[in-house]
Amino acid sequence: MTKFLKTKIRIGVFLLFLISIYSNTKAQKSNDISVSFYPVFNNSIINFNQSAFYKTEINDSIQFNLLRFYISGIQLLNDHKVVWEEESSFHLIDANENLLSFLIHPSINISYTQIKFNLGIDSITNVSGAMGGELDPTKGMYWTWQNGYINFKLEGKCNQCPTRNNEFEFHIGGYQFPYNSIQTISLMVEPLKNIDIDIDLKKLFESIDLLNTNNIVSPSKEAILFSNKIASVFSNREK
Amino acid sequence: MTKLFLLLIGICFTISGFAIFIGNIFYVPENWPQPVYDFSKNPLTYEKVELGRALFYDPLLSKGNSISCNSCHSQFTAFAHVDHALSHGIDNLIGTRNAPALMNLAWQKSFMWDGAINHLDMQPLAPIANEKEMASNIDSVVKKLQRTKLYPTLFLKAFGDSIITGEHTLKAISQFMLTLISNNSKYDSVMRKQATFTQQEKKGYKLFKINCSGCHLEPLFTNQQFENNGLYVDATLNDIGRMKITLAPNDSLKFKVPSLRNIEFSYPYMHDGRFKKLSDVLNHYTSGIYQSKTLSKKLETPILLSSNDKVDIISFLLTLTDRNFLFKTDYSFPKELLLKQ
Ligand code: HEC
Ligand code: HEC
Repeated sequence: MTKFLKTKIRIGVFLLFLISIYSNTKAQKSNDISVSFYPVFNNSIINFNQSAFYKTEINDSIQFNLLRFYISGIQLLNDHKVVWEEESSFHLIDANENLLSFLIHPSINISYTQIKFNLGIDSITNVSGAMGGELDPTKGMYWTWQNGYINFKLEGKCNQCPTRNNEFEFHIGGYQFPYNSIQTISLMVEPLKNIDIDIDLKKLFESIDLLNTNNIVSPSKEAILFSNKIASVFSNREK
Repeated sequence: MTKLFLLLIGICFTISGFAIFIGNIFYVPENWPQPVYDFSKNPLTYEKVELGRALFYDPLLSKGNSISCNSCHSQFTAFAHVDHALSHGIDNLIGTRNAPALMNLAWQKSFMWDGAINHLDMQPLAPIANEKEMASNIDSVVKKLQRTKLYPTLFLKAFGDSIITGEHTLKAISQFMLTLISNNSKYDSVMRKQATFTQQEKKGYKLFKINCSGCHLEPLFTNQQFENNGLYVDATLNDIGRMKITLAPNDSLKFKVPSLRNIEFSYPYMHDGRFKKLSDVLNHYTSGIYQSKTLSKKLETPILLSSNDKVDIISFLLTLTDRNFLFKTDYSFPKELLLKQ
């Protein structure tokens, strides 16, 4: 009887051991790496809810009220070859809600030197009907009268804008040729380290003439130009 | 043995294509093309269709709970907006376009007169958000639905989740609209050899095939292209059609070729509802064509029809009326659901 119990315990312990090995390897199969975005102006992080003023190049005051955009299709690369790809990779970044970072879980045993992602939503997803989660149309990132996701939204005020309340409004999107505004961004990264990315709005507004360009709300040539400019102000955050 | 049986069941399911042909709520009529709608992403079920039907008829979807989809798309006009050239909405603001009939939407590639909508699921976002129509937005609609007694239960039954999302709301409305199949007109019976045309209808059909089929292609009576059919531009609306979407000058004044099924009841006609009668439409094609750069090649040589020919074509067009569709109770106001509230 006791012998039987002993074997039972032994088997039990052995099973526990197996389980622990299994869960260990499972936990170690991937890393948690955070990807974070820092909207900055003159090296200070922009507060989107307190309507703070910042000074533009020509010493005009500028204010930001809203920043929201999609990051999708995240890949890690080594020597220009894709070594890891996130599955159903869609992340909504919302500065007003302080949703500025997310985790990715690349496999443990890969080395990589580069991250690549899209700013915006690809055209297949754009024509695939109603989606949930980050892509749910209740998120306010979907156009109504002319379909398609809005890839990037930035709103604020600047006295230079000859508009109502001096507001500017950029809702950038469009998925159909020739007005496909999705952008691909790639940055060098250090393996296993968290990834911190600056979005330098000062640089962005240096390349925009707010007097003439202050309202883009549909797919167009202007939207494409603008999306190019946004993509160029994403950079690694100085450590 | 049971394994073999299970395997067989599996194979049947795969072959039946994600089980879209459930009961008679959806079917592909004989000799029709395959549907465009991707049912694998939104498989039809009775519960979802019923939920969609309730949403379609519920004014809760608008600001002030005053109008529903049905206000502009009523069944007895094949889900078009009867008697209003330009659709009326919230506070009687006039919209800029005529509400089209809703039918056979599973076969349709794009929606709206200019193709602005790329997928049936996304269609309701437009009227819900337009300040001239339902003047609400999907976010507040979802919140409103969540607060009702009725809807969390219906969503639970349909989607297994009583938390209402935009995705589920839109998919349910699509499900109802997908069931709106019209294929039981006299024309269809004749094609199935269950009926025959009168002499006049036969003549009309022949003339139709010569002059109209190039765009109004059978069996859906549309080639789903964007064409300029020679309407002069209404200066008060200045509607450039497809060009608004593509920004391409050679799309100027092109509109989606509409189906002509149930045309008897979906008056007034054209994107701005400018014609009240079918005879006005035929007079347009014979003597009203407005010449412009983007006029369809198919209309460059004038259509010649005697007044008898016109009457014949109209008698054929009337064979496209599907009374079964116009009065089918599955499509009508869901009393059981909406009056209980
Ligand atoms: C105030 C009137 C109005 C209301 C309310 C309304 N619609 Fe419409 N609907 C229209 C008009 C007008 C069009 C055509 C607009 C255009 O082409 O620009 C249209 C077009 C459509 C189409 C496209 C049909 C086609 O053949 O391209 C669908 C589908 C549709 N509506 C469904 C709905 C649904 C679902 C609702 C409720 C959520 C709804 N509508 C509410 C007026 C309305
Ligand atoms: C070049 C393509 C073309 C040809 C040929 C053509 N149509 Fe059309 N038809 C259209 C288009 C496009 C519209 C919608 C135009 C708009 O509203 O701007 C339309 C609209 C209509 C409508 C109104 C439908 C509605 O729901 O409002 C009727 C009726 C009609 N056509 C009948 C005919 C008949 C009958 C013929 C043959 C004599 C014909 N069409 C030939 C392209 C065509």
